[in-house]
Parts: sequence; structure tokens; C-alpha cells
Amino acid sequence: MNAPTSTEIGSQLITFFAAGMLVFQLLLVVQRMLLTNIRLFALQSLLLAAIASVLAYVHNAPHVYVVAVLTLIGKVVFLPWLLNRQVRRIGISQEIEPLLNAPAAMLLCGGLTLLGYIVARPFTALERLGNNTLGIAITLVLTGFFLMFNRRKAITQVLALLTVENGVMLAAIALTTYGMPLVVELGIFFDVMVAVMVLGILVYRIRESFDSMDTSKLNQLKG
Amino acid sequence: MPLLALLIFVPAAAGLACLLVRSPRVMSALGGLAYLTTLSLGIALLPQVLVRGAVTEWNEFLCADALSAWMVLLISVVSLSTSLYAGRYFQRDLDARSITPGRVRQFFVLTPLFVAGMFLVVLANNLGVMWFAVEATALASVLLVALYNRQTSLEAAWKYIILGSMGLALALFGTVFLYAAAVGPHASEKLPSFNWSHLITVAPQFDHGLIKLAFVFALIGYGTKAGLAPMHTWLPDAHSEAPSPTSAMLSGVSLKIALYALLRFHILTTACLGSGFSRHFLLGFGLFSMFLAAPFILVQTNLKRMLAYSSLEHIGLICTGIAMNTPITIFGALLHMGYHALTKPVLFFAAGNIHQTFHSLEFRVIGPGVVKVLPVTVLLMALAALAAIGLPPFGLFLSEMTVISGGLAAQQTTVSVLILVALLASFCGLLQQLTRLLLGPRKHGHVSDARRTDGAPAMVLLLGGLLLFSIWLPAPLLELMHRAAGIIGGTP
Repeated sequence: MNAPTSTEIGSQLITFFAAGMLVFQLLLVVQRMLLTNIRLFALQSLLLAAIASVLAYVHNAPHVYVVAVLTLIGKVVFLPWLLNRQVRRIGISQEIEPLLNAPAAMLLCGGLTLLGYIVARPFTALERLGNNTLGIAITLVLTGFFLMFNRRKAITQVLALLTVENGVMLAAIALTTYGMPLVVELGIFFDVMVAVMVLGILVYRIRESFDSMDTSKLNQLKG
Repeated sequence: MPLLALLIFVPAAAGLACLLVRSPRVMSALGGLAYLTTLSLGIALLPQVLVRGAVTEWNEFLCADALSAWMVLLISVVSLSTSLYAGRYFQRDLDARSITPGRVRQFFVLTPLFVAGMFLVVLANNLGVMWFAVEATALASVLLVALYNRQTSLEAAWKYIILGSMGLALALFGTVFLYAAAVGPHASEKLPSFNWSHLITVAPQFDHGLIKLAFVFALIGYGTKAGLAPMHTWLPDAHSEAPSPTSAMLSGVSLKIALYALLRFHILTTACLGSGFSRHFLLGFGLFSMFLAAPFILVQTNLKRMLAYSSLEHIGLICTGIAMNTPITIFGALLHMGYHALTKPVLFFAAGNIHQTFHSLEFRVIGPGVVKVLPVTVLLMALAALAAIGLPPFGLFLSEMTVISGGLAAQQTTVSVLILVALLASFCGLLQQLTRLLLGPRKHGHVSDARRTDGAPAMVLLLGGLLLFSIWLPAPLLELMHRAAGIIGGTP
């Protein structure tokens, strides 16, 4: 028996971290406290950064370290801080009011996970490192969309959008050896930051104008 | 001279410069000057593209082929006319105290950035860069939609950003799949290029499953931003709640820019799989958009919402023309893009005048007999409306006939007849609605502060351009469109 190579260990680590991302996503679906939600998102992003750094180490690709560091700074530290500050500043009540209750939501997300794996199956041969990463990526996107519909508060919809983005980034890592070209990664990073700020401005103005963050009150425009 | 880089930097610099000045007049002049510059740069680009095929700059980071050059001209013309209209429009809003000076500055800062983003979309060689440029245009325009800060405009902006971001997340997924398809199963040591000019040469070797997945995701994603039905639900909200200059930009070019991004995927998919796969999707979505638009035009009670549905119909026609995939229909679709860009802003400018005079866009508040209050505006609006519903001598008649006759010549009778039916339906809808609104006896009292010639220069300029280009298309422009049609049709 040979000692496992660094590629094999890397592959196992990536599978493990990707599974962790899925677990955090499902916790997000059932967790009702807003601040905990933000923390769960930060942890999920931390795992994404970890996957990127494992990939960078195994392939000896320095530019992927840049991606890992950007994810760390942006999605693990800065965005959660920004969202936290906003939650405190406008003093929203902590409880999230989902449309579906927790067991039903969990069941549905189980179904979505299954769907994600079925969609990913023809392409598993294309995965570079780790197993099931593409399936998990698609699942993150699907459950992210479900989160968007299931939550009424504007700020939780922002969080849902960010988890979708995490899923897409995971797919980029899963399917291509070195991730996307650096200029694209930088652009995506910059866009996500600006998007959250723009959404923050809108959330603030909606809050001022409607005296609420419940987006189901946004229902005057029809037809 | 670095033409392509200047096209992006001039408007961006103008937008940032507006942060430093106070007077709205200076800000509007800065914007106008920037768009005038980009228009002349676009015209200067035209012969270069015709001679060299594709112009690249910055180590191939920026690249312009005939299709990009055509879009550059459209963006410049619509932006220029919008800046001609916007200065006085916001001055009137400021006088009426319906907007704060800070928000007016926001408009003059964000609009050039929005334009710079659109230039980057069409000039980016790297498809990933193209994606983030589309996202940047969405982010710049969402604050413009929310400019008036009414409850309804915040609602429209929120729907726009949430649907747009969801769509663009899917488009990014599509972009990732495309990159994976391009990288292929045999990963080389080097990071492969994601440049358009490289992709189009290796397209036949793409992984078939992945390219299909990539196209479908891009279709849903960019299709949302392009307002294709059934992902169009943000479109009437955003168009009706945005200030009229922004509505004109959104409808005049922004939708077409998103369609352009989708077309790049369509061209690659066609190059890889043959013309059978992606064109059927485009055909379905295009026809569905056209047929959905007609009944909604007929039941609208809000002027700008109705115009938004008319945009939906036109974007559907453009999409269908491209999907019919013959040189003539694609040429007709490109021609239609151009004529529509000259027509639709006039309608939105007129709607802006009406809005400012009556403080509403609801038909029952403003109509009937608007012509008695705003004769010049109504005259220009009626001309533009006749153009928009496709009556000769205006160019839209010409381009619609080109698409339909091209379809008939290529034995695609069913599609051609369907297009004709949908066009007739919205023809009747728009004609009936606008006749009731604009003509007839005036029931409500005379509105005292009517401004008779507001915004006329911009509208006359656009309509004049439309008429001129309807009867005379300069040879280089014609050649440019033929080349662009060749790129889309896969015969470079």
C-alpha cells in the first residue's frame, strides 16, 4: 500500500468541505434567528474559501489563493459584518417568518437535493477533485432559490441570493481545474460586494418608506 | 487611438465628474458631451471593423466585431437623445419639488456608469467579463428605477433587483458551464483562455452535454434581463416606475444588450451542435413574448406599462427573427433593433411630458383628449406610435416585412404567419388604446401649466433620424449589419 498522495487527500478534504456547505445550507433553511442565519452563511463561505485553498495547494496554482483570500475577506468577514450592522441599525425583530414551516421546508429541500444530484449525474465524470461537488453546487443553487421564496424579510432574501452565489462558485471550482480566470473571479467578487451594498440601500429605503421589511407588502404593481 | 478603451472610459469619467459639480445643467452637459464623443468614436470604429473584421485592444481584453460595433452605435444614439431630454426634464421636476437635488445628481452620476457598463458588455472579449458587465448595468440601473423613492418605485426596484440577480446568478452558472465545456476533459497545464475570439475557433470540440446546459442556463438568465416572457414580470414595473429618461434607456438599449449577451451563447452553441438546438429555444421564447404582449397591451390602464409591453413584443420579434436563422431574417432582426432604438425613446419621452403635466400615468386621469393640452407632444408621440406599430413609411414596417418575407422565402410559413398575427394583434391594441387616450373631446378641465414644446428637440431628432434611415441606409451601415448577421448566422 502506497501512502495516499496529496491529490487524494485534497480530493477527500474537498468532498468533506463541500458536504459541510450543504449541511450549513440545510441549517439555514430551518434556522429562524436572523443573526444566526448570517453566521451560518459566514461559515458556509469559510468552507468555500477552504476548498479554494486546498485546490490551490494541490494544483500549486497561486491565483486560486487570491480567490480564497477574497472569499475570506469578502464573504466571511465583510458581508456578515455589514449585514449584522444593518440588522442592528434598523432594529428588525429577530424572528424570521417563513411561509413553510421547518419540517415541510426540510422535506422539500431533501427533494431538491435529490434533484440536484440527478441533474449532476451525467457530468460527474467531469469533476476534477472531490466527489459530488457538482451535485452539491446545483443543490445549493436550487435551495437558495427556495429560500428566496420562503422568506418574507428583505434581508433574508439577500442572504438567499448569496448562498446561490456560493453554489455557483463551488460549481466553478468543481468543473474546472483552476477555477475561472482571475479577472473573472475579481469581477464576480466586486459585483457581489456592490450588489449587497445596493440591496442594503434599497432595504433601508423600503424600511423607511413602508415601516417594514416584509416584502409581501410590496404588492401594489400588478398586470 | 485606443477607440474601444475610450468608449468605456469617456462615459465612466463623465459620471464620476458629475460627483464634483453642483449645477444640474453642467451635469447634463457633461453627459451629453460624453455621449457625443462615444457616438463619434462609434462612427470611427465602423470603417476599422469593416476593414479588419475584428478590432482588439489591450492584449485582446477588448474586442469589437461587426455585431459589437452595431450595438455601440445603438447605445450611443439612445444615450445621446436621453441626455438631451433629461436635463430639462429634471429641471421641471426640481421646480415642481417632486425630486431632491441629491437624487438628480444620482441620476447624472449613475446613467453614464450604466452606459459605460453597456459598452463593456459589448466590447468585452472574455465572456466572464461580459457577465459581470451585465450585472454592473443591472446594479447601476436599479437605483435609477428607485429614483423617485415612491412606495411603488421601491417595489419595482426590489422586484427588478431580485429577479435580475436570480437571473444573472443562473447566467453565471451558464458561464461556468461554458468555461468547463471549453476547458474540456483533458485539462491542460495552462489556464485556457475564456476569450470569445479563442472560443469561437474551438467551439466544435466542446463537450456537448455541458454546452447544452450552459445555453439553457444562459437563456433563462440573460433572458430574464432581456425581458423575454415568461421571465418578463419585472419589466412593466421597472419601466413604468423609473423616470422617463431611464425608461427610454432600459427599453431602447438595455434589453437589447442582454439579448446580445444571450446571442453570444447562441452563436457558440450553434457552432458546436449545429443550428438545431438553441434556435428552437429562442423561437419558442420569442413567439411566446410576442403573443403574451398583445393582450396585455389591450388591458393596460397605465401608459408606461403599456409601452413596456410593446417593448416586450418588439424584443420577441427580434428574438424570433434571429431564431429563424436565415440571413434575411437575422438581418431584419438587427435592422429592427436599430429602428426600435430610435422609436421607443420618443414614446417614453412623450409619456414623461404627460406624466409631468397630469401627475399620473393612469388613462382615466389623463385622457381623453390629451391633444388639446399638449399638442406638440401628442403629435410627436402619435408619429412615433405609428412607427412602433409598423406603419410605412417608418423603418419598423420595413424590418418587420424583412423578417416575415425572409421567413416565407425560407419555407418557414407557420412561424411567419404567427409573427404576422401577433403583430396585427398588438397593432390593433396600441392603436385603439392611444386613439382613445390622445384624441377625442377633453372631459377634464384645462390644465393650466401645460408646457407645449418640452422635450421636442430630442424627439424631433430621433424621429428625423428614423425617417432618414427608413428611406436611406448608408452603405457602410448596411455592410456592417450584413457582417453582424453573418456572425450570428455562423458564416463569418
